[in-house]
Amino acid sequence: MTATLTDRYVAAALRSAPEAQRPELERELRERIGDEVDALVEQGADAGDAEYRALTELGDPAALTAGYLDRPLHLIGPRYFLVWWRLLKLLWAVVLPIVAAAFVLAQLLAGAPANAIIGATVSVTLSTAVHMGFWTTLVFAVLERIPAEPGQRGIDEPWKPERLPQLDESGRPNRLADLIASLVFLAIAAVALVWQQFGWPWVPALESVPLLDPSLWSFWLPYFLVLLVLEAGFAVAVYARGWSWPLAFVNIALNIAFTVPVLWLLATGRLFNPAALEAIGWPWGDAGEVIVPLAVVLLLAGAVWDMVDGVIKAVRAQRSAGSRA
Amino acid sequence: MSTDDLTSGHLQELRRGTVVLACLIRLRRPDYGYALLESLNGLGITVDSNTLYPLLRRLEKQGLLTSEWNTDEARPRKFYRTSPTGEHLATVLTDDWHLIDQALTRLTEGDAS
Repeated sequence: MTATLTDRYVAAALRSAPEAQRPELERELRERIGDEVDALVEQGADAGDAEYRALTELGDPAALTAGYLDRPLHLIGPRYFLVWWRLLKLLWAVVLPIVAAAFVLAQLLAGAPANAIIGATVSVTLSTAVHMGFWTTLVFAVLERIPAEPGQRGIDEPWKPERLPQLDESGRPNRLADLIASLVFLAIAAVALVWQQFGWPWVPALESVPLLDPSLWSFWLPYFLVLLVLEAGFAVAVYARGWSWPLAFVNIALNIAFTVPVLWLLATGRLFNPAALEAIGWPWGDAGEVIVPLAVVLLLAGAVWDMVDGVIKAVRAQRSAGSRA
Repeated sequence: MSTDDLTSGHLQELRRGTVVLACLIRLRRPDYGYALLESLNGLGITVDSNTLYPLLRRLEKQGLLTSEWNTDEARPRKFYRTSPTGEHLATVLTDDWHLIDQALTRLTEGDAS
C-alpha cells in the first residue's frame, strides 16, 4: 500500500515534534484531517480532491507543528530584538575600528605593500563584521527559544526613564569651546612648524638642526601652513553655521589634503631632515621598524575618525533640523 | 489597505478573546474539535480551524480544559471538557464582558461623565 497524502503530511508535521509528544500529536492530526475531509466529501467533493483541499487548508506542516507546540516562527522576537540590535551596533562600533587598526599595524610591521594592506584590511574587517553578526544573532536566537523564568521577561533589564539618552544640544557654548580648542591647536601647530626650522633648544642633539627637511620650504611647508589657515577658517565656519553636509565634505577634503602628502613624504623619505635623523641617532635599533608603522596607523586612524565624526555630526544636525521643522 | 481589510482586521482583533470564552462555555458539555468548530461558526462566532485546534491544546496545557480520547467510533476523537479552573475563568470573563458592554452602552448614550 502506498502512503497517502495524509500519511506524508502527518509524517512531515511530526518530524519537528519531540519524540514524547508524537503519538498524541499524530492522533490529533489524523482526527482533524479526517473530520475536515469528511466534511468536504459531504459537501460533494470527491475523496482525493477533498484530501488535497483539506491539507492545503492546513498549510505548511512545520508551521502547523510550531503552532500546536507554541514555538516561535521568528528568529528573534520583540522580547529581545532591541537588546540584540543595540548590542550588535555597539560591538561593531567598538570592535571593528580596533580590528582594522590592529590589522593595518601588523601588516605595516610585516612590511606589506600599501595596496595589499588596504585589500586585506577591508576583507578582514568585513569578515569580522559578518562573524560578529552571525554569532550574536545565533546566541539571541537560542535565548529566544528558552522560556523565561516565571514572572520575568527574560535576560534583559526592565526599562527605566534613567536610560533615556541626553538630548543632543548643538548649542553655542559647546561649539565655542570646540572653536577655541581648534584655533589654539592650529596656532600651536603653525608655530611648531616654523620654529622647528631653528631647532629645538630643549633637545640637545637638535639645538640648531631643523627637524623637517629644509628643502620642503620650497613648496610643502608653506602648503601645510596654508592648510592650517584653511583649517582655522573651517573651524570658524563650523562655529558660525553648525555642521552640515557641505562642511562635512570640506572636512574630508582637508583631511585628505593633509594626510596624503604627509604619508607620501614619509614613505619617500623626504619628510625629515637627514641631518636631524643622524643627530638623534635614528633608526634606534629595531625600534624604528615599530615606531614608523605605529605613527602611520595613528595618523590614519586620527584622520579617518575626524572624517567620520564630521559626517556623524552633519547627519545629527540634519536630523535635529528636520525634527524641528 | 482597503476599508474592508481594515474593518475585518479590527473585527478579528475585537473577537479574539471572545473565542476563548465561547469555548469555555460551550465545552461544559464535552465535545471534539470539529464539532466545536461547526457549532461556534453556526452561532456566528467565526473561528478558523488553524486558530481553534492550537487554542484547545493551549487551554488544556493551562489546565482550563481536560481531555479524553473517545475510541468508540472508527476514528478516535479527543473530547475536551471545561475544568473547574476553566469554569471559574469563564465566570470572570463573562462578568468582564458585561462590564465592557455596559461601559460601551453608557459611552454610546453619551452620559459617560
